[in-house]
Amino acid sequence: MSELAVPGRRSRRLLGARQLGLTIRVAAIAAIAVFALSTPGFLSPLSINALLTAISFVGCVAVGMTFITLTGNIMSLALGATLSASALVFLASLSFGMVPAFLIAALFGTVITAAQGFLVGYFRANPILVSIAALSLLLGGAAFATGGHRIYPGGAGIEFFKARIAGVPVNAIIFFATVIVGQFVMSWTRIGRLMTMVGSNPRAAIAAGIDITATITIAYAIAGACAAIGGMLLAARYGSADMELGAGYDYSAIAAVLVGGTGISGGSGSAWRTFIGVIVIAVLEVVLLLRGFSEQLQYLITGLIVLGVIMLHALGERRQG
Amino acid sequence: MSVLAVAGITKRFGPNAVLKNVSLSLEAQEVRAICGENGAGKSTLVKIMTGLYAPDEGAVLLDDKPLAIESPQHAQQLGVALVAQELSLPPALSVLDNIWLGNREVPLFHRRAALRRQARAALDKLGLSDLALDTPVSALSIGRRQLVEIARMLTREARVFILDEPTATLSDVEIERIFAALRTLKAEGKSVIYITHRLGEVFEICDTVTVLRNGELIGTRPTSEIDRGTLMQMMLGRSMSEMYPRWDDKPGGAMLTVRQLRVPPLVHDFDLVAARGTVTCLAGQIGSGAITVLRALAGLIAGATGEVSVQGAPMRLRSVTKAQAANVQFISEDRAGEGLFLRLNAGQNLIATKLRDYCRFGILARHKLRRAAAKLATAVGVDLARLRSPADELSGGNQQKLAFGRWIGSERPGVLLMNEPTRGVDVGARAEIYRLIRQFCDQGYCIVMASSDIEEVLGMADVVVSMYRGRRVARYGRGEVDRQRLLADITHPVAAS
Repeated sequence: MSELAVPGRRSRRLLGARQLGLTIRVAAIAAIAVFALSTPGFLSPLSINALLTAISFVGCVAVGMTFITLTGNIMSLALGATLSASALVFLASLSFGMVPAFLIAALFGTVITAAQGFLVGYFRANPILVSIAALSLLLGGAAFATGGHRIYPGGAGIEFFKARIAGVPVNAIIFFATVIVGQFVMSWTRIGRLMTMVGSNPRAAIAAGIDITATITIAYAIAGACAAIGGMLLAARYGSADMELGAGYDYSAIAAVLVGGTGISGGSGSAWRTFIGVIVIAVLEVVLLLRGFSEQLQYLITGLIVLGVIMLHALGERRQG
Repeated sequence: MSVLAVAGITKRFGPNAVLKNVSLSLEAQEVRAICGENGAGKSTLVKIMTGLYAPDEGAVLLDDKPLAIESPQHAQQLGVALVAQELSLPPALSVLDNIWLGNREVPLFHRRAALRRQARAALDKLGLSDLALDTPVSALSIGRRQLVEIARMLTREARVFILDEPTATLSDVEIERIFAALRTLKAEGKSVIYITHRLGEVFEICDTVTVLRNGELIGTRPTSEIDRGTLMQMMLGRSMSEMYPRWDDKPGGAMLTVRQLRVPPLVHDFDLVAARGTVTCLAGQIGSGAITVLRALAGLIAGATGEVSVQGAPMRLRSVTKAQAANVQFISEDRAGEGLFLRLNAGQNLIATKLRDYCRFGILARHKLRRAAAKLATAVGVDLARLRSPADELSGGNQQKLAFGRWIGSERPGVLLMNEPTRGVDVGARAEIYRLIRQFCDQGYCIVMASSDIEEVLGMADVVVSMYRGRRVARYGRGEVDRQRLLADITHPVAAS
């Protein structure tokens, strides 16, 4: 290098953008793994079971959220309330039997979220504002319908969700299935590819003749179905439900999506990466708990991690640009 | 004595050297063109001269003194001003604010009147006397934004002005204005470095030309001593017999008929008949409505009205789906914004509109998709090794080929609308695009393209329709119109026919 040359800060940055991001990610996961495995009691069946159960609820919502992020609509603030409302519907309709109740609740979540998707797609309404309005409507509607009371199961059958198959909680199995189906839809189906295209560049999608209203509506419908599944798992676990049930799940879900490495600007995303994100956050929380950190500190650390991931992402995108 | 020079510059990104031992020196009052294909290293050289990159080897010299330019701000301080290739004006700010944004001369407390006066003078020089200073930049066309960017440069106190493809989005009249401004700068004793893809401009405005190829300096020549062919050969490393393909007239029947197309507020009562197997060019300046007509026919403009029929069957306007159902396809003038999915890879872009053909019950046959993408890539001349690269890493020429590839291979050749098909595409790739367009014709497509590049229109068209302010001026068959006539038509038509 010539003595005249100024150190090429900028050029070196451009060089390793992707590799750097990947390296940091792998290192972080390795660090968390070491941290977890060295924590006494982490590998006990009790703690693993608790972990698996805990991730299923927020995990379902996070997979759903990934679809919204993928289509370029950032996130929905109404998925937590959708989860709660679907749980109420599920418990209330248990008198028709477990399977019909499951279908009714899933349909409920799907339809109300798809309606939001239609508004976002057709009117190009701001997705965050639409979701805030939907949140308000859901809370109000539920208060009106239940009179603000807790809902208890109107029939039997929820024990199924508490069972285990081959030692694995049914909750977790349903979550894993959600991840697999979600990933399949994203990368193996036409609608999944269309969602990626719409999220990547909506104007180009319109010019290419893609029906972006339908695509976004379907993405939201899937998100709603996922939230409803999470709601039913949660309702079954607690044996009762109210609108507080899902409070905060939308935030945890978007945190998992981001930690998994899905870009907030749309056009990229995978259920598999979200799954990793869910696990990372959950493991961290369990470890902090086992090591005796207070709950407040857990929140703080989770918040810091999400912030770090977002900054890492922004940095990566700037470097590529 | 040279004003600005680089000596033995080498720049590497990872293992690739994008500039290899490049030297050049610029005199006072010299207008120097830098030519080369995409990837030749032109932009990297500019970035080194303006302090955005530091060279790995070699030095930048000002007044024969080596010195390290640390940042674009530092370059400005040293008297080197840059008009960037990408439009970098914040859209929400007014023209006035944009002109002064980032200027070190602006005092903390604005002397509004003086700033306004200087900005006004710079705009007037570029023929923008009708543009109000308080207009937000977002309300301007891309061409006008580029002119504001130039006005911004004119207000800078600098000795060397670097323009990186300033005319890519401009029409001929606007280009003339830039040339006039450059001549004034030259008369004032300034030097200019001018990067362009348009060879005509090199001979029109530049004193000397430096050619780069694959990061190497091929040579510097006075423009008076070489001709176009020589310059092209220097750039490409081989002689290119023809820019435009030859073809035989074999017009088919009318395929696209447009009557009384109106697109408020710009286009009024536009009529057009285009035949199968031919290229119809709508020639017009920015603001002539040529681009708007094609956008409307593609179904992208909500307010468009008129009677359109394709092969005798009426087609509904205002719906992209309906246009596509009528076999009318569109290639946008705005590749990044509307044409491509830049974050998806090249292969995914090629098959974006063909997914339906390769799936069963909504499930994609991914191996078939990959094979189809490879086939399309071969057909349009995109390197198969690049199929997995994100589209935004490809050159302008390759990106445009992706946009083309999307519409070929159809069993029913239809109408293909294209706006400015070679914008931002370098010379070598340009010839390939022209060849592709002719191939489309031979397959029976009906091509309608809007272009503000007169040379391109004359080289490609079977039928030329000239446009001015949203109206059709005249229609010419092949060979019935020359440069002067067409230029007159699209700038100030004598009589609208």
